[in-house]
Amino acid sequence: MSDQNIFDKLQNIDRRVFYWVLFITLMVPFIYPIGLPVKVVQNTRDLYEGITGDNINPGDIAIMNFGYGVSAWSECAPGFTVCAKALFREGARIVFMGSQYDVELSMNKLMNDAREDFANKVYGVDYVFLGYFTGGESAIAQLATDAWTVYPSDHYVTPDAQIPLMQDFHGWQDVTVVLSSDTGDVGSYFLRQWQGSHGTRLAEIGIAMNGSTDYPYYLAGNYFGLSIGSRGGAELEVLIREPGEATTAMDSINASHLLIVLAVILANVGYLLSRRKA
Amino acid sequence: MAYPTELLSVVGLWTGWLLMLMIYSYPLYKENVAYRFAEHIFVAIFLAINLVVNFQYLMNTCVTPLLQGNLLMIVPLVLGILIYTMLIPEYRWVSRYPIALLVGAGFGLGMRGVIKPSILDAVVSTITAPSAGTMMNWVNFLYIAVGLLSSILYFLLTYEHIGPLQAPTRLGRLFIMIGLGAYFGNTVLFRFTMLTGRAQFFLQVLKIIPM
Repeated sequence: MSDQNIFDKLQNIDRRVFYWVLFITLMVPFIYPIGLPVKVVQNTRDLYEGITGDNINPGDIAIMNFGYGVSAWSECAPGFTVCAKALFREGARIVFMGSQYDVELSMNKLMNDAREDFANKVYGVDYVFLGYFTGGESAIAQLATDAWTVYPSDHYVTPDAQIPLMQDFHGWQDVTVVLSSDTGDVGSYFLRQWQGSHGTRLAEIGIAMNGSTDYPYYLAGNYFGLSIGSRGGAELEVLIREPGEATTAMDSINASHLLIVLAVILANVGYLLSRRKA
Repeated sequence: MAYPTELLSVVGLWTGWLLMLMIYSYPLYKENVAYRFAEHIFVAIFLAINLVVNFQYLMNTCVTPLLQGNLLMIVPLVLGILIYTMLIPEYRWVSRYPIALLVGAGFGLGMRGVIKPSILDAVVSTITAPSAGTMMNWVNFLYIAVGLLSSILYFLLTYEHIGPLQAPTRLGRLFIMIGLGAYFGNTVLFRFTMLTGRAQFFLQVLKIIPM
């Protein structure tokens, strides 16, 4: 044991030590914020500009799909909230729906986080919450051709016929823009069944994990904009000039990423040194 | 969001906080009774909510319209019930029909929309040189072009990767490794962002930082 160098010791360290260090590293920036600047990248700017200004008119219908559950709130919710605020402020009408069984909790969080914007809106006229859907790509395809068959009623079991907004929403031809925020595949269903088949304007508020797979679709113009992970959410908060959850979390996320980079470098240097020694 | 004042909300908040700690006791300490308890609760609640939500959706979209006279709704209902015949060994073959229908419809729908966004647009985007932009746009363009061609060559399995094929296929392997590494890195960092949310929640419940 005595002839072990620092790298040997690091390689044999108990993994729980790393987890503790990580957990503490994540917490410290919340208590002592660093306030690192957030630079807005083009794909996020395109998303924001695509749902504001001349690109959206009062009365336009937007679909916002909750393709994330409670576990991914920190990644998806901030960006999703900014987009809902921006659309409301442009006078757009929003149809909320979701493919996760806990979609009601995500909707409640959104209504709480953007309560000033929701306060000026009338349920059923300015926005509607259709709730959960199942059926995957078939359901999304059917939503494009006959939305009422996928959702005969809203989440609160009010029939479509009694909801003013639903009188103007029957399929893809009534929708100006679709925003999907996903941890899974629903965004790609919209891509194939709405953007690819009907040319509907589509943007993704995705998780960092899917950033590398979503980006080519943004480059090809299939997504008019793309927000990637919590970082994208923080960029959107910069664009709407309302710092929120993502901005607060960015220091912590940066610290955790830095720790991982450091750990990867140390592990590789240690591995190379021990291999040379052997 | 302000710290809740209603009793039920406060109880809910602290229950979530405790269950979270029980789950984290596994990586931070070791497997223990508290972890297993929280794990079982999680799985049970997940299944229960999933069942209720899906049942409600089935009632709203299928059963209610059927009872209101839309007789066509009997078709998906019967097909759905037929899937459960896989639980009876002698009638398992019947379940293959609704499954075949599901797979066929899914495949057909997928194929319908995949050609333009995933093939045509991707190819056009890849082979179109940037008409404007910075030096970085050109670097990206060349990186994607070289990476795409060499990666495709790597999967050219008809010929042995020797001679003129050796260098490009090795380059292709390098690009694939870089791509997979980036994807794996993103996956790990995504989990850390989720953990960030939990760390924030941990401090918020203790009122160390505002909610």
